[in-house]
Amino acid sequence: MYQKSIGERIAQILIHIFLFAYSFCCIYPFILTFMASISSEQSIMKNGYRLIPSEFSSLAYETVFKDSSIYTGYAVSIFVTVVGTLLALIICGMVGYAMSLQRVKYRNHIAMYFYIPMVFSAGLLPWYLVCTQFLHLQDTIWALILPTLVSPFNVFLMRNYFKTIPSSLVESAEIDGSGPFRTYFQIVIPLATPIIATVALFIGLGYWNDWTNALWFISDRKLFPLQYMLYRIKSIMDFIRQNGSMGNIQLPSQTFQLATLFVTIGPIVLLYPFVQKFFVKGIMVGAVKG
Amino acid sequence: MKKEAALQREPANSFRKKHPFLNEMRRNWPYYLMMAPAALVLFIFSYLPLPGLVIAFMDFNYVDKFSSPWVGLANFKFYFTSSYAFQTTFNTLFININYLVWTTLFSVLFSILLNELRSKFAKKIYQNAMFLPYFFSSVIIGKLITTILFSDSYGLVNQIITALGGEAILWSQTPNPWAWIIIGTHLWQVAGYNSIVYLASITGIDDQLYEAASLDGATRWQQLWRITLPLLLPTIITMSLLSIGNMLRGDFATIYSIIGDNGLLYKYTDVIDTYVFRAIKSAADFGPTAAVGLYQSVVGFILVWGSNSLVKLYDKDYALF
Repeated sequence: MYQKSIGERIAQILIHIFLFAYSFCCIYPFILTFMASISSEQSIMKNGYRLIPSEFSSLAYETVFKDSSIYTGYAVSIFVTVVGTLLALIICGMVGYAMSLQRVKYRNHIAMYFYIPMVFSAGLLPWYLVCTQFLHLQDTIWALILPTLVSPFNVFLMRNYFKTIPSSLVESAEIDGSGPFRTYFQIVIPLATPIIATVALFIGLGYWNDWTNALWFISDRKLFPLQYMLYRIKSIMDFIRQNGSMGNIQLPSQTFQLATLFVTIGPIVLLYPFVQKFFVKGIMVGAVKG
Repeated sequence: MKKEAALQREPANSFRKKHPFLNEMRRNWPYYLMMAPAALVLFIFSYLPLPGLVIAFMDFNYVDKFSSPWVGLANFKFYFTSSYAFQTTFNTLFININYLVWTTLFSVLFSILLNELRSKFAKKIYQNAMFLPYFFSSVIIGKLITTILFSDSYGLVNQIITALGGEAILWSQTPNPWAWIIIGTHLWQVAGYNSIVYLASITGIDDQLYEAASLDGATRWQQLWRITLPLLLPTIITMSLLSIGNMLRGDFATIYSIIGDNGLLYKYTDVIDTYVFRAIKSAADFGPTAAVGLYQSVVGFILVWGSNSLVKLYDKDYALF
């Protein structure tokens, strides 16, 4: 099919060089971070960050795991991610489904209702006042879940997919006596697993990576999710120092930060090879149906 | 018989005509029930704050709340006559326009290069690598930037500079490069992801077009300019329209995780959102802060609406709404 001219070959080589260089730039900082986190504080102070450190040390990781905040951080992050993703999927999926049905007369009005916030919002201050003065979300776990629960974008993504499910399937289920909720959970959801898996991954990633909700609403150390813990790492190091729970060990401040960073990204790095193809597939679905 | 049936049907018919809303509810209430939870959450977090916009015209305090005294346009005057107004607006637009231009250019470039690659295996490897930064939170990215790359004493960039015989730079006290560092960081984080979106549209292009073109003697280069890019245009326009509405909002998470509260760097990096955040957190005057919010929302809306109308003039199918 291709004529392998010299020009074509050179072009291929150039593309490889370019993409390889960029891919390298995407991965290298993470490798460097990991190597720095297992090197000793002194070797960083002497030579800066090196791919192969002159002296290895696990002191940073020992310090991270000795302090209790990493465990509460994990607990909070996992709770928020699991509960938030499930809730969001259920309520966004239902509205997406109802909006996709021809028989629902006001579906376009409802779509408009979900569309308006995408182009006009009241801004941060009124939103902050509603959350704190009206809902009193500050220093509750719900402050980390509710504000980002409903994303109109996800609703429309799911609606567009539900639209492609043949209405005859839904109708025949109803003739057989299945109510709307049963039809949705037993017929429609199994047919829509590709989009639901993708949206779930996006929502889950969003919750796992979110730290701005904590920045706005959380001051209680026990409710810090992992990412916010990492953000506040300097104050957490001060806390550990003052507490003296580490005894006489000099706290390795540089490597401690990097070790914490690697502990927080651990799960994502481990899951990445498995979930990444769902993401790519999901983007394809979203882009084609868009 | 027929007449009777018609008579019996009549009340139902007239009910349907007189009360279309009630009738619809009676028929389809379970579906509206399904919509209720999401609609309620959206109402609380997106519609309930809207009346709060009146704070922009008030001398708001926590005691009087919404019966605080009205001050007309004084809050707007306060913000727009301060030096912050120009600085934060300029920085926000500067960073966002560069975000849009560079990420679009690089994502389209990457997607075309990936598409031209003949080795499927290499394509997969590159895609996975380029996609990786998208998975990490802005805090992690911010830490990478501020500790590994641009730390004053041990950072990689300073290592390279000194190795080349240059003078190490005190990054935490040099405001000039940070806007570009932020732009580069964003590009690095999303280019791989966006290129997959564009790649999806390229894959969707009908192969027959390319076959016909190559039969007519078009080179790969000509096919790129005459087929791939024109057919990518709708996706590029949709993606750009979506980001234009947020032109005045700014990428708070990335910027704040990199700059934080380092006042020395505000000159080129303080955007409207970070300014508003500090104002709210320090419980400073709420009036001007709400005024800034209203300004962002209104300008954002005009930008979306305006650019959408322009796109509509050019080609109706490309518009968002």
